[in-house]
Amino acid sequence: MDVKELIKELSSLDGPSGYEKAVLELIEKKIEPLVDRVWYNKVGTLIAEKKGTGSGRLGIFAHADEVGYVVTKLEKGLFARLETIGGVDPKVIFAQRVKIYTAKGIAKGIVGVLPPHLQKEEHRSKVPSFDKIFVDLSCSELGEYVSVGDICVVDVKPVELNGKLCGKAMDNRAGCASLILAAQLLRNIRNYQDVYFVFSSQEEVTGLGAVSIAYELRLDRAIVVDVTHGDVKIPQFVQIKTGEGPALCVGPVIDKEFYSKLYQTAQRNNVKIQIEPAPGRSGTDTDEVQLSGTGVRTTLVSIPLMYMHTPVEVVDPRDVEETARLLALATTIE
Amino acid sequence: MYLKELTELDGVSGNEQQVREFISDKIKDKVDELKVDVLGNLIAYRKGTKGGRKIVLAAHMDEVGFMVTNIEDDGTLAFAPVGGVETQVMVGKIVRINGQTLGAIGYKAIHIQDKEQILKPLSIDQLRVYIGAKSKEEAARQVKIGDYVAFTTTFDQENNRLTGKAFDDRAGCSVLMDIIDKIDRYEDDVYFAFLVQEEVGLRGSAVVVEQIHPDIAIVIEGTTAGDDPELPEYQWATHLGDGPAITFMHRGYVVNKRVYESIIEVAEKYSIAHQAKRRTAGGTDAARFARTGAGTAAAVVSVPSRYIHSPVSMIDLNDYNNTVLLLQKILEQGEAFAR
Repeated sequence: MDVKELIKELSSLDGPSGYEKAVLELIEKKIEPLVDRVWYNKVGTLIAEKKGTGSGRLGIFAHADEVGYVVTKLEKGLFARLETIGGVDPKVIFAQRVKIYTAKGIAKGIVGVLPPHLQKEEHRSKVPSFDKIFVDLSCSELGEYVSVGDICVVDVKPVELNGKLCGKAMDNRAGCASLILAAQLLRNIRNYQDVYFVFSSQEEVTGLGAVSIAYELRLDRAIVVDVTHGDVKIPQFVQIKTGEGPALCVGPVIDKEFYSKLYQTAQRNNVKIQIEPAPGRSGTDTDEVQLSGTGVRTTLVSIPLMYMHTPVEVVDPRDVEETARLLALATTIE
Repeated sequence: MYLKELTELDGVSGNEQQVREFISDKIKDKVDELKVDVLGNLIAYRKGTKGGRKIVLAAHMDEVGFMVTNIEDDGTLAFAPVGGVETQVMVGKIVRINGQTLGAIGYKAIHIQDKEQILKPLSIDQLRVYIGAKSKEEAARQVKIGDYVAFTTTFDQENNRLTGKAFDDRAGCSVLMDIIDKIDRYEDDVYFAFLVQEEVGLRGSAVVVEQIHPDIAIVIEGTTAGDDPELPEYQWATHLGDGPAITFMHRGYVVNKRVYESIIEVAEKYSIAHQAKRRTAGGTDAARFARTGAGTAAAVVSVPSRYIHSPVSMIDLNDYNNTVLLLQKILEQGEAFAR
C-alpha cells in the first residue's frame, strides 16, 4: 500500500461526525484481508480484530470522523445557512466550494462573500459568525433539493507540497492510515496481545464511538492515535515538528507504565518520536477511554499536523509511516 | 465561449502572458491585424466596410492575486495582494506560485487561538504561503521574491450558472473572443483591446487611446453583484439573471450620455434583457479612456458577477449570452450607433 495514495484516498472521502459511513467502508475494505474479523458496533464504530500469540487485549484507536457543517436554514433565492459539526473557525470558510449531501445526491455550493467594493467598515472590523455566513446553491441542479439537516463539507482535493500532503480531514485520516499500515506490518511482526483496531465515530463532537467500544471490549490497554499541532508556536509548550515522527503524550490521561514500555520500544527500534506534554485533558478520545469500565491503561500517539480544522491541513507521510511502525511494535509488548 | 480555459490560466496584474498567448493564438487568424504594445496589451483590428469611425471594445486580461514579498527563515513565503483582495478570502486556499509551485495559505488551528483572536479579522502579516519547504534555502530552490501567486480554482458550469476564478475580467475577454468568432464585418473599424494591469490602477488602458484615437470605447467587465441574503435589496449593485449591467457612472467618470443612452436604445430595440448598475463604487478602464489624450466617449457593459475578487465567483449563462448579443447588435448598428 502506497502511504501517500492511502492518505489522499481517505482525505478525499467525506465523513463528518455521525456520517462516517463512506470512510469506514473504505477502511473495512482495506483492513479486512489483514485481520481475523471485522464488525461494527451499535454507534457506527468499525472494529478489526487480530488475535495474538500471548495474552492481553490492546485497542488501537483512530477516529474516522471529520469536522463539517449541517444546513440549518434555507433562504429565498437558493441560499442556505450552516452550523458547524465540531469546532470550525469561520475565518477559513469564505469563498470555498462546498458539497451538500441531499436525498437526491450531492448538491454544489459556494460560501458567499461580499466583494471589497461593497464592504463597509462593519464588515471589515469583525469576523462574521455562522449566522452571517451563507451558501449559494444556485450553481447546482440539486440546489432546490437541499433540506435542513443535510450534511455539508468543503469540496477540496488533497495536493502534495514537496512531499507533504495537504487537504481536508487529515485530522484524522492520517491516523486511520497509520492503523491500516500497522495492520499490514502485522503480517511480519507477530502480535503478542490480541489487537483491536478501532475506527471510531463522532470524536469531533463527543467521542462516544471510542468510549462505547472501550467498554464493550474490556480492554487492558489502549493506544489512541490522533493528530497534534505541528510547526506552530504555542506559548509555554515545546514545538512539535512535522517530519520528526509521532508525538508521545505525557500527562494524567496517560498510563505511566504503558507509556514507558512504549517509549522503550520506540528507542530500541529507532522509531523517531517526540514528547508532548498534556497537563490536563488531551482533547482526544484518550480522555474518556481511560475512564471506561474499570479503567484502561492508555497512551496517546499524535501525528504532527499543520492548520488543524482548516481545508488545508498538512501532514508529512513519513510521520504516518513512523506511527504505523510504532503501533505494530507496540503489539509485541507483553 | 472560452471561459473554462481563460479562467483556469494565471494572469495576475503584470503577469498576463499566459492569458495573452492563449487569446492571441485563438484569434490571430480571424482578425486583420494583431499586435502587442509596449505595456503588453494585445490589440486586434478588424477593418470596417465604411471605415468612417473607430470603435474599441476592451476587456482586461489581468486578475487580482498576490506577489511573494519575502522568503522567511522557516521556508514559508510572505506575500502581498496585487489588486484588491480581502484577507478573509485568503485563508484555507491552495495557490499556485509562478505558474507551477503549489502552496497552502493556512492559519493556526481554532484550538490554539484565544477568544479575541477567533473574533478578530486576520491581517495579511499573520498569513504565509506554505510550500512544504522547511528552510529558506529549500524554498529558494523553487520560488523567488517577486513571483506571482494565483488562486487555483477550477471552472464549473451547472444549472445555467458558471463558477470559477477571475470572471473579473476573463468574462469580458471571452465576450470579445466570441464576437471575433462571428466573422461579420461591420461598418465601423473595430479594435479589440485585451488589456493588462487594470486591477492595479487602470494602467494598461492608459496607452491605448494614443495608438488608436478611437471615436467610441466600450469596456466589457465582470462587475459586482451583491444580490445575496446578507445585503438588503436596496444595496444590490446588480442582480444575476437580469441581463448585462450598463453603467451610468462609476468612480472617477460619468459615462458619456450619448453612448450610454444608445446602448440602452439598442437593448430595447432588440428586447435584450439589461439592467442599470446601481452602485457607483469601483472604476473601470472607461475612466482611463475618457481622460487620456484628447479623451474618448467611453462606456461600460458588464456581466454581473457574485463574489468577485475572491477565489470563486459566479455568473449567469444568460447574462453572458445577452452581453455578447448586445455588443453584436451595437456593432451591427454601424454608423447609426451613438450618433
